[in-house]
Formats: sequence, C-alpha cells, structure tokens
Amino acid sequence: MKKRYAIVFDTRKCLNCKACTVACKIENGVPVGDDTYRLWVTEMPLQGTYPRLHQVFQPSQCQHCENAPCQKVCPTKATHTTPEGVVIVDYKKCILCKACMAACPYDARFVSEHHGSVEKCTMCMHRLEEGREPACVETCPSRVREFGDLNDPDSAVSRLLASRQYYRLKSEKNTRPRLYYLI
Amino acid sequence: MAMNMENIRSLVRTNRDVPAIPYIAVGVVLLAIGLPAAAWVFIKGHETVYGVTRQVPWGLLISTYAYFAITSTGLAFIGGLGHAFGMREFVGMSRRIVLLAFIVLLAGFTQIGMELGHPFRLMYLMVLSPNFSAPIVWMGLFYTVELVILAVELLLVFNPSGTSHKLAAVVGFLALLVGVVAASNLGFVFGSLTARPFYHGIYFPAFLVASGIAGGSALLLVIYNIVYRLHVPGAYHRAMTTLGRLMGICIAVMVFLLAWKVATSLYTSPQGATEALVALTGGPLAVNFWVGEILLALVVPMALLVFGGFWNMKTMGMAGLVFLVGMFFTRFDFIIAGQLSPMREGLAGSGVETVNGLMQYTPAAGEWMIFALGLGLFFFLYFMSERYLILEDASH
Amino acid sequence: MKSKDMSRRKFLALSTGAIAGTIFCPNLAFLKAAEPQGMKYAILPEGKREVIASNCAMCVNKCGILCEVVNGKLHKINPNKKHIKSRGMLCAKGNAGAAVPYDPNRLKTPLLRTGKRGKGQWKEISWDEAYKYVAKNLSDLKEKYKNRSSVAFASTEGFQEEFFYYLVNSFGSLNTVRHPTLCLSSNIQGWSSVYGVFPDADLKNAEYVIMLGSDRAQALITPDSVDFQRYKPKGQKLIVLDPRFTATAAKADRWYPVKPRTDQGFVLAMMNVIISENLYDKEFVETYTHGFDELAEMVKEYTPEWAEGKCEIPADDIRQIAREFAFHAPRSVIYPGRRSSFYTHEVYVRQTFAILSAICGCWDVPGGIVPKSSINLNSHNVMFPFFMDAQDRVDKVATGLIKDVVPDAVQCPMVGTGLPTDSCAFLSEKDGSWISFREAVLQDNPYPVRGFVCFKQNPVQGVVNTQKTLKMLDKMEFICVIDTQMSDTAWYADIVLPHATYLERWDPAHSLSGIWPIISFRQPVIEPMFKSKSMFEIAGGIIREMLKIPSLWNDIDPADLESFNKNIVEDILDKPVQEFIKHQVSKHPGAWEELLKEGFFTTDGGKARYGSTRNSEYRFKTKTGKIELFNERYKDKGLYPLPKFCEPEYRPKENEYRFLVGRTAWNTHSSTQNNPYLWEIQKENTVWINVGEAAKLGIAGGDRVRVKSKIGEQTLRAYVTEKIRPDCVFYVNGWNRKSPMLSRVYGHGASESEILDDVIDSISGSVCMHETFVTLQKV
Ligand SMILES: Nc1nc2c(c(=O)[nH]1)N[C@H]1C(S)=C(S)[C@@H](COP(=O)(O)OP(=O)(O)OC[C@H]3O[C@@H](n4cnc5c(=O)[nH]c(N)nc54)[C@H](O)[C@@H]3O)O[C@H]1N2
Ligand SMILES: Nc1nc2c(c(=O)[nH]1)N[C@H]1C(S)=C(S)[C@@H](COP(=O)(O)OP(=O)(O)OC[C@H]3O[C@@H](n4cnc5c(=O)[nH]c(N)nc54)[C@H](O)[C@@H]3O)O[C@H]1N2
Ligand code: SF4
Ligand code: SF4
Ligand code: SF4
Ligand code: SF4
Ligand code: SF4
Ligand SMILES: [Mo]
Repeated sequence: MKKRYAIVFDTRKCLNCKACTVACKIENGVPVGDDTYRLWVTEMPLQGTYPRLHQVFQPSQCQHCENAPCQKVCPTKATHTTPEGVVIVDYKKCILCKACMAACPYDARFVSEHHGSVEKCTMCMHRLEEGREPACVETCPSRVREFGDLNDPDSAVSRLLASRQYYRLKSEKNTRPRLYYLI
Repeated sequence: MAMNMENIRSLVRTNRDVPAIPYIAVGVVLLAIGLPAAAWVFIKGHETVYGVTRQVPWGLLISTYAYFAITSTGLAFIGGLGHAFGMREFVGMSRRIVLLAFIVLLAGFTQIGMELGHPFRLMYLMVLSPNFSAPIVWMGLFYTVELVILAVELLLVFNPSGTSHKLAAVVGFLALLVGVVAASNLGFVFGSLTARPFYHGIYFPAFLVASGIAGGSALLLVIYNIVYRLHVPGAYHRAMTTLGRLMGICIAVMVFLLAWKVATSLYTSPQGATEALVALTGGPLAVNFWVGEILLALVVPMALLVFGGFWNMKTMGMAGLVFLVGMFFTRFDFIIAGQLSPMREGLAGSGVETVNGLMQYTPAAGEWMIFALGLGLFFFLYFMSERYLILEDASH
Repeated sequence: MKSKDMSRRKFLALSTGAIAGTIFCPNLAFLKAAEPQGMKYAILPEGKREVIASNCAMCVNKCGILCEVVNGKLHKINPNKKHIKSRGMLCAKGNAGAAVPYDPNRLKTPLLRTGKRGKGQWKEISWDEAYKYVAKNLSDLKEKYKNRSSVAFASTEGFQEEFFYYLVNSFGSLNTVRHPTLCLSSNIQGWSSVYGVFPDADLKNAEYVIMLGSDRAQALITPDSVDFQRYKPKGQKLIVLDPRFTATAAKADRWYPVKPRTDQGFVLAMMNVIISENLYDKEFVETYTHGFDELAEMVKEYTPEWAEGKCEIPADDIRQIAREFAFHAPRSVIYPGRRSSFYTHEVYVRQTFAILSAICGCWDVPGGIVPKSSINLNSHNVMFPFFMDAQDRVDKVATGLIKDVVPDAVQCPMVGTGLPTDSCAFLSEKDGSWISFREAVLQDNPYPVRGFVCFKQNPVQGVVNTQKTLKMLDKMEFICVIDTQMSDTAWYADIVLPHATYLERWDPAHSLSGIWPIISFRQPVIEPMFKSKSMFEIAGGIIREMLKIPSLWNDIDPADLESFNKNIVEDILDKPVQEFIKHQVSKHPGAWEELLKEGFFTTDGGKARYGSTRNSEYRFKTKTGKIELFNERYKDKGLYPLPKFCEPEYRPKENEYRFLVGRTAWNTHSSTQNNPYLWEIQKENTVWINVGEAAKLGIAGGDRVRVKSKIGEQTLRAYVTEKIRPDCVFYVNGWNRKSPMLSRVYGHGASESEILDDVIDSISGSVCMHETFVTLQKV
C-alpha cells in the first residue's frame, strides 16, 4: 500500500538539548554555519510572570507540505514530491534561482555549496530505505518526534494523531504540512 | 533584403558630432570593474561574493535585472506604438528605440546570468523539464522571445533598402505585446509568492508595465539630449513631447497604484505586508523610499514635466534622468521590502536574527560590481553604436 | 546509460547499507522502499560500510553508540537503541564526537616545551624520546626529594584511568588527586552517612519527584535524563527548586526560585509536617532505621512558617508538597542529583534529603531511591611494589590547612557549626581534596611537591581560583599532561602526550552500577589518527623506560621488583590489551563476544534490580548497620549527628550577587567548546542577570559586563532575563580559554574558575562553588 510519511512532535517533552540539530548536520553533511541548517529548535518567548514562568521549546524543519509553495515556483521541477510525500530537491536539476527560498513560508531552505543547489530536510530518505528512522527522530533523549506512515493506522504517528489533539504550523497558508504538533 | 557591402557601408560611419567618446570611456571603466567581479564569482562562488542570505535570498542583482529588463520592455512598447499604431513621430526614432531596447535587455541578462547559480542548466532544463506553474519559466520564455523579436526588429530597422510597413507593424506589435506580457509576468514572479503578502495582487504587474513605459520614455528623453548636446533638432520635438506626455501619464498611473497599494497594505493588512510597508516608510528602507521612490521617481520628474512644460526639451531630459535614478531605488525597495519580514520570529535558537523584527540586507561590494558590469555593457555597446552607426534613418 | 550504472552503484551501497539497517533497528523494516533512490540525497561515500558498537566518552555517561564507518573513515555516530543505560539516545555532544578524531586542533604528536612555560613554543619529539624524558624526570624528582610523593598525579574518571593508575602505582606516589572533590564527594558523603551507599533514583517509576539542585534536562545523566521525559509515567508530578529557571524547571509542574543555600530548610520543614501529621512510614522506620526519636525532636522547631522565612517558599506550599510526597511514597523521589560542590554545609544538606526519603520508606522499591547494583568483573589482583620513599598524602598530613590556610572558608564561621577546622573529616585516600591539596603544595606543608602528571583533567579551568592553580604549576619542576587536545593545563606543561581519542582505542571493561547495571568497554572504530596512543601503550612505554633506571627501584625489596616485572610488565603490559579485557569479563560466558557486538553486556536481560536490601536481616554499611537518621560516626567525630539547619554568618552586601554554577546540554565542562558543531550552538558564554537588577545597573542585553569577585574579574556579555533570582547571577564554565590551540574559544567569553573563591566543605573536602559573591559593572 502507498505510504504517507509524517513526523509528529510532542514539544512538551523537548529539553532544548540540540541533539537533533547536530545529528542532522553530521548525518547529512550540512556544513557548520549560521545560515546552513535543516532543523532548528526555537526557544519560544517566556510565558507568565516570575516566579510562575513557562516556556516551550519548539523543534522544527521542512514541513513537507502536501501543497508545497516551493514546488510550485520551481522552474525546473528540481523540487518535487516523492510518492511517500517527501518534498525533496534534485540537486542536479537546481539552477539556484532561489525562488523556493523566497516562497517557503517556514524558511526551511538554504543554499548548499556542497551540492551546488538549494537543500533542506529530506526526511533522511537514504535512512528510510534502509529501514532506519530519520537521524533527528532517533537521537532524541525524550523522543519528541515520532516518524511513520499515516496510511498505516497502527503506526506511531497514526495512533498519536488519533488519540490526541494537534495543530500544524501556519495552517492559514494552506500548505498542508506533514509535520504535526501535539497539544 | 540581402545586404551587400554597399548597404553595409551606407550604415557605418564615424559620427564625430556625437559626444560618444566620454560615455564609451565610462562604459570601459565600469566593465573594468565588473568583469573581475564576474571572475571572482566563478572562482569563489556566489555565497562568498554576494550579500544575500538565507532569509533575503534575492538582492541587488534581481532588482537591477528587473530595472534593465522592464525599461527594455518599455522601449519595445514605445517602438511598437510607432510601427503598429502608426504613431509616426516615433518612426523616425525607431533605430535608436530598438537598439536601446536590445542593448538594455542584454545588460539585464548579465544581471540575471550572474544571479542564477546555474544559468546554463536553466537553458536546457527549460526544455527538458519545465514547470509551467512556475512564473520563472515564463519569464525565461518571454524574455528570450523578446530578445529574438528585438533582434529581428534590428534587422528590419537597419535594412537600408527599406522594409514593408506591414512586416514592421507586425513585428513591432509583437514586441509591444510580448513586452507588456513579460513585464507583467515579472510582477507575477513575485506576486506568486504566497508567503510574501507584500508582493500580492494585480498592483505590481500593472505598476511594472507603467513604470517600464515611463522608464523607456525617460531613457529616450535623456539619450536625445545627450546625442544632440542639449539641442534636440526640431524634427524630433513632436516625438519628444509625446514621450514627455507618455512619461507623465505613466507616472500619474504609478502614483495612483502606489496610493492604492499603501491603502490595501494598511487596511486589509495581511500579516507581512504591513511590516514591509513599515520597513519602507519608517524602517531601514525609509530613505530609499522617500528620497528615491517618492521624490526622485515621482515628485521631481512630474514637477519638471508640468512646470518645465512638455515643449522644453532640456527639462524633459532632466526629468527623464531624475526618473531613471529614482526608478533604481523603486526596483531595489520593491524586491527587498517584500523579504524583510522574516518567515520565522527571530527568537533564540531559531537561527533567524532580526533587528526590530525585520531582516537586514545591504548589497555586498561584489553585487555592486556586477551591477557595474551591466551598466558598463550598456554604455559601451550603445555609445559605440552612436559613434559608428547611422541611427537617424531617413528611410521613412 | 550513465544513470543506469549510477543506480547500480546505489544498490551496491545499499546492500551493505541494508545489513547496517538491520543492525541499527530491525523493527523499522516497513520503511524499506520498493525503488530506493534516497542514496542520491545521502552524503555517504560508496564503499565498505561497517557499523561498530562502542561507548561515548564526551562526558561521564558512557552512552551506547553505533559508529558508521565508511572506508575506514567515521561517517556518523548513532545511538545504540538497545543500550540499557542510554536507552537509545545520543546527545549533541555525543553526535559531535564524530568530529573529534579529525579535529585539526587536536594533539598529534608528543610535544616538548622549548620556550618559557605558557609561551607556546614546542618541539615535536618521538614517543621514545617522550618516554625517556618522563621516566628520567620522575626518577630525578624521586632522587632529589627522596620521596615519590613529591610527584602528584591528577586525573578524572574514565575507563583509561585504570591504565594511568598502572603508571601511578608503578612510581608509587601517594599524592593522587581526582575530580570527586570538585564534583560529588559531599553528595556521596551525605547519602552514605544515612544508607552506607550513594543510591540512584528511579525516575521511570516515580509518581512524585522533587528535584533540587539538579538540572537533568541540561546536565545530562543517563538513564535519568531519558527517563525524565521520554518514560515519565503518566501523571507523575515534578517539583523543581532552582534559583534559575532551567530547562528542567521548564518541564516542572511547579518551579520555586528557592533562596540559594536554603534547600535544607525546605526539606527539614517537610519532615516537620510529615512527622507531626504522622504521615511517615512507621513500619519502615521501625524495621530499618536508627535514631528516629532524636530526629523527630530536632525537626520540631523547623515549621513551614520558619522555612518560608528562610527559603522564600510559601509555608502552605511546603505543607502541600510534604503531604503529597508522603501520599505518593514509596513512589516518591527527592532527587540525589550528582554535583554537590555547592556550599560549606552541603554534606548535611544531602544527608537531610536522604533522611526524608528514609522516613517515608522510599527505599529500594520501584519509583523510589534505589541502591546501585553492579555486575562483577574479574580484577587482575596485581601487587604493586611497596616503596619505602613515599610519604603520606599532603592534604592528609599537612597541619592546620583548613582553618588557617583557607581563610575564605571561615566566612561561615565553622567552630561550633559542625564543620572540622583542622583537616577534612572524611578524606578519600585515592581522590584527595583538590583545594586543600593545592593549598598544601603551595606552602610545602609538610613537604615539597615538585612534579605534576595530569591525565584527562583540566585543573586550570576546572579547579576554582585559577590563579592559585597557576601558582601551584609554577612551583613544579616537571609537568606532564596527557590529553587529546591542547587544554589550558597542557598549555603550561613541559611535555604534552597525545592520547588516542575514545574512538581510536581499546578501553578496559567497566562495571557501570545502577538500577540497571551493565558492563561497558570501548573498542576502536577507526585507526588512531596522527601519532596518538592509548594510555595502555603510554603507561607501558614509560614504565619500561623507568625499569632501565636502577636508582628508581632502590627503595623496594628486589623480590617485589621480580614479581612486578613478571606479573605486571610481562603478563599485562607486554600482552595485547584485548587479553586484559577478556580476562576481566571471563567469568561471564559470552560476555566478550557480546561486548564486541553490542558494546555492552548485562545479565538477566537488563531488568531493574530492586529489593536487595529490603530484609530486616540486611546490614547497612553504617556504624549501627541500620539506616542512620542519627549518625553515630558523625557523633564520634564531633560533627552534627543530626543535620540541623546550618546558616552562614556571611551575608551578601548591598550590591553583591551570589554566583551560581550550572550546565548547558551541549557542552561538557571545559572539554567540548572548541568542537565546531558545538561551538556553533554557543560561541561564547553570557552572564544571566535578572531583569529588575539589570535595569537598576543600567545594563541591557548584549552589553559587556565586568563580573568581579574578591579573587578576580572577568568580562562578558549580559543575558538579561526573568529566568534568574534577583540576588543571583550565573554563567557557564568553559570559556575565555588560555590555550590558543583551542582556537575557537581562546579568549572568548569568561572563565568561571578565575572568579570562583576557593571555599572548602571540610567534612568531605569538596570545593564549594556557590559561596562566591560578585559585583557587576557595565563596561
Ligand atoms: N568552574 C567550574 N569548575 C568545575 C565545574 C564547573 O561547573 N565549573 N564542574 C566540576 C565538576 S562536576 C567536575 S566533574 C569537574 C570536571 O573537570 P575535568 O575532569 O577537568 O573535566 P574537563 O574540564 O572536561 O577537562 C577534561 C580534560 O580531559 C580531556 N579529555 C577528554 N577526553 C579525553 C581522553 O579521552 N583522554 C585524555 N587523556 N584526555 C581527555 C579534555 O580535553 C579536557 O582537557 O570540573 C569541576 N570543576
Ligand atoms: N551536558 C552536560 N551534562 C553533564 C555535564 C556537563 O558538563 N555537560 N557534567 C556531568 C557532571 S560531571 C556532573 S557532576 C553533572 C552535574 O549536574 P547536576 O548535578 O544537575 O548539577 P549542575 O547542573 O551543575 O547544577 C544544578 C543546578 O543547581 C542550581 N543551584 C545552584 N545553587 C542552588 C541552590 O542553592 N539550591 C538549589 N535548589 N539549586 C541550586 C544551579 O542553578 C543548577 O541549575 O552533570 C553531568 N552531565
Ligand atoms: S533532541 Fe529532542 S529534546 Fe533535544 S532539542 Fe531535539 S527535540 Fe528537543
Ligand atoms: S516547508 Fe518550505 S520547503 Fe518544506 S515543503 Fe513546505 S514550502 Fe517546501
Ligand atoms: S533554487 Fe533550485 S530548487 Fe529552488 S526553485 Fe530554483 S531551481 Fe528549484
Ligand atoms: S529528517 Fe533527517 S534531514 Fe530532516 S531534519 Fe531530521 S535529520 Fe535532518
Ligand atoms: S550524555 Fe552525551 S556526551 Fe555524555 S556520554 Fe551520553 S551521549 Fe556522550
Ligand atoms: Mo561532575
């Protein structure tokens, strides 16, 4: 049966430990640099007043939009979507016009000198095909991320989404992300 | 219309009366600045030489590209008016109009060529795997066609043995049409970015077309004042006056569109559009906006035209010059403002660094040098033609 | 055609990959795609791809790793999903470890100092020259001072430390100084005074957790930091006391910015409530404990109202927390934590924590406090020679150290406050007490120490009051540092030896005790880079050179030398190190193979171990053999037998702030800041200042601020935040480095030890890092 990959986040467990950011960089050869990263962990603004403070740490990355603005504006179809719903850039087809960078509402893309192309989260495609989880999912102490197939009702992601409430980032943009955030 | 040596010679001549040399010199200097930069980019790579960032991926080069390309389409439009709609006064100008349009477009291509990471990939992938939902594909298409049409027009207008009006009219009309479409499509390249509300709406396509025509007229007004050392021959006065009026009308249209845009950005205030507007009017782009876009591109030229009168060749030339300078800021601000409000808040860990909630962008030296390349190419090619080609044609 | 052979090669790469896949995580086979194309997005080079199991060494935790090695180059370090201790996680540092062997900044070959100390003029020398040089200097010092203890040996835990001690014991100095008195010695002392051991907490099954003075979200300790959120039982309640709003506090149900140094008051008040309301576990107290009545008597005075005045936590909240804690007992945890190098009275504080869990019976049951179990190893019971010329440890025999030589400590007048004033009450023979040791050395009390050999420790950053440490190093006639990078301490050495990193060497097996005990070890995942060597080789190399110097052995019985040569040099150091490890695990059939395959070994499926001490016959390692609420040994030594509240006389002045110490999740002490992947997360440290105070001082976020204590000052940028109490400031350790060969962090930010006062807790000999007060000034 056809697969629909997704990642579900439980930010309540996030320690802001940055394990996922380093794991991604090394797994995918993303160079050290302030502009070159596929995922980020944002410290959301402090809530409440001292001493009743609260803070959420929000990891994120490419949302693998089902309705992907980056893909629409890509002149050469370098940016395309795999049958499993992974939005991905064919490095050989990218002309570096950067339209996709301007088009992405999540600032998920950047120029990779290594690939001579724009790059971003690939859901660790190469690991998936070896039956391995994405590096950021695997390395997390708290297991903030779950990865899996939405078309499989027994997958961890399906069960989480069935049992709990969730939201998606910038839903108003109608990008229909494949990344879900549990409430 | 075969050209034998005879005909060629009747086209070529050294025009000592045209003050071309200093401008050619300027062209050479600018090229001397630009070419090394090009080499630098090929060796060091775009990322190191240019100032564009992850959050502001489009910078000076995209705006200079737009600056040249849209002016060129404006010129093509005017040329078309001459041939297709029989505005006879322009016909006498057609060689300069077409030549300018062609050279200015070439200048534009240098900018986009240096902006794209893989311009040659674009060329063959446009054929092998084009994505027709992507405005950039159409942009590529329209401007390639535009270049071809202008090339054909060049042949026609320089054909001394005269050409059939019909053919000229058809080609002229095509140039005008494609010009309009290309300019408005360029607006759509930005308008299609759902993420960037500031670019949205019919406003920009319309604005680009109008400002293009104004730019074309402005350039012609300037050029004729240069070529004839501020004493434009009577034969051209009617044409110049029409150009002045055309420019005036277009500026009026631009003012209207701008006002409308400001209003919509303010009142419908889609998230992002307002920030961009704030950036323009009060933020990092404020000076550009008030001095460049408002004063130089709209107020001053309009004033010069209205008060100087449409029969005063010099003031119209001056108006054109001021407008062209202002237009540069307009293009720059337009491209940058849309990108200044970040897609993610500049919070700790987000990787986004903002100042007062806005991204920062200032062109790097390398980008300015590439702009010099385009400008230099224009000066060099055009004024070489002025010096060695016969650009007034008596044929009509 | 091009694309065809492309995809063919892809499949080749995959076939090895697929094997790897099953090793990594077989349970995810469903992900395997019909028509693989992902490899074209991978940066994996094609070729031989292996997965080697070992264990991380970027900090103390030894998490399980699976190293992906392609053509002999380490590509990526992945967590070992099956690992019992790390539960399949790998932190930022563990991931960044992949860059360590290839770090251009690392030590590549033995270096001999040519210019003045600390001036950075080095000469590359061969290992033979290095071994000779070290052996000669050791023997010279022994000859000159007729005392082997004239050379001190400093080190921090780590599997290879075992081989470092082969060197130490072969030379025979008694002056060894280790990390515990910088870290957790007062914690061990406090808990052991009650239970005879230092236990763990079962966060995976606890219903109610009070965490005070620990930061598990950032100060990572496995498995706790994993169980903390990943395996948090539904409905578990977490109460956090910390003057800072840490990432741990961000996960808490309730955070209290407790007044520093008053946690003990909070816990005493809890006991007051629990006992006066009869909420304690009578049966447990009856069966297992000693001295309940005295305790009950003592805590009478510590009412919640009294505590509120001390620790600024509302009395009602204290009452409620006490009741909830007792209600959920025995599945209630008052978290022991790890680092306790906080305050002069820290031993009593930790003793108080231990007593609270005892009276509620939260002992040796799921969800409570549980004594560590361990899986035994065969030790090579080797006898090192008995050396005549070896005087006892300086910090033990020196006189009047504490009272006279550490006057700072007297800022909390100790006479009659339960703190010894002559020497440390419980000094570990092996670990020593870092700052009283240093104090003794500084004044040759009672004899000169002139040699310093340092392994896997960086005292210049890690021991408070850097200037004193530098003075101590100045006194030395010989300094040898064995490190993987040019640490701040190595920068001041005479000879620096490049140690192979944890990814390049065999480490001896080690029994990691805990609720889930395992046996761990390390195997090389790549060949040693450059000329680096393992401590096994280095120890052997130096010892063999020492044997060539007869005078070095003139103070032992020749028979001893005989057996030393035979049992230690020939039978161990001359054999492959694998033999050593095999022998260690030989009592467990299949353990060696298991180690090679999985990186760890455990018995009965790694189940949690509870209840070993839960029978009335069991003798605890205390004087009475019971769980001592009233401590008899302390009584004998003239310390408080009961942890009565201890208050310093010292009060911060108007403009003074208490300096706090803590961690970030992405760095280890002073080890990792120069790693590019961690450096880009934090490029320099910043000082936390409370919003209100910053306003008073006219300091805005990002301003440069001078932080001044009575022993030094540092300048760094301000982080103005509500996340810290108004009366405290904080910045993290590991910046403003002195070694230019840590190029990314050299001179950036601020060093902690440059401003931290050397105050001692004279019961355990631990340093007190939170007893320093500083002033702030915008520069
Ligand atoms: N100011 C301040 N001081 C502190 C602390 C603090 O928070 N602030 N924390 C205290 C605590 S809890 C502790 S445990 C101690 C720890 O203090 P240290 O044990 O000194 O730990 P590090 O500062 O990490 O220094 C470890 C040194 O070992 C080196 N090293 C790393 N791996 C290897 C290896 O495989 N082989 C060899 N030979 N060397 C290696 C590193 O390069 C580094 O130079 O610090 C204590 N001191
Ligand atoms: N990422 C990472 N993890 C590590 C280490 C590392 O260097 N990096 N080091 C390891 C080592 S060796 C150790 S010892 C442990 C240390 O880890 P922990 O034992 O958790 O100790 P710290 O994190 O040093 O300090 C804990 C907290 O105590 C708070 N505190 C200070 N004064 C008081 C007080 O008076 N009352 C209360 N309630 N809280 C106070 C500080 O703000 C700090 O947040 O971490 C280990 N894990
Ligand atoms: S690894 Fe997990 S806990 Fe750590 S920052 Fe990433 S998501 Fe958060
Ligand atoms: S998040 Fe951005 S890059 Fe990713 S699919 Fe959506 S639009 Fe494209
Ligand atoms: S930059 Fe590359 S991927 Fe992005 S739109 Fe242009 S061609 Fe497509
Ligand atoms: S899925 Fe892979 S590529 Fe995407 S963010 Fe996680 S680690 Fe990076
Ligand atoms: S906590 Fe991180 S650094 Fe420490 S051992 Fe585990 S993975 Fe390595
Ligand atoms: Mo520690």
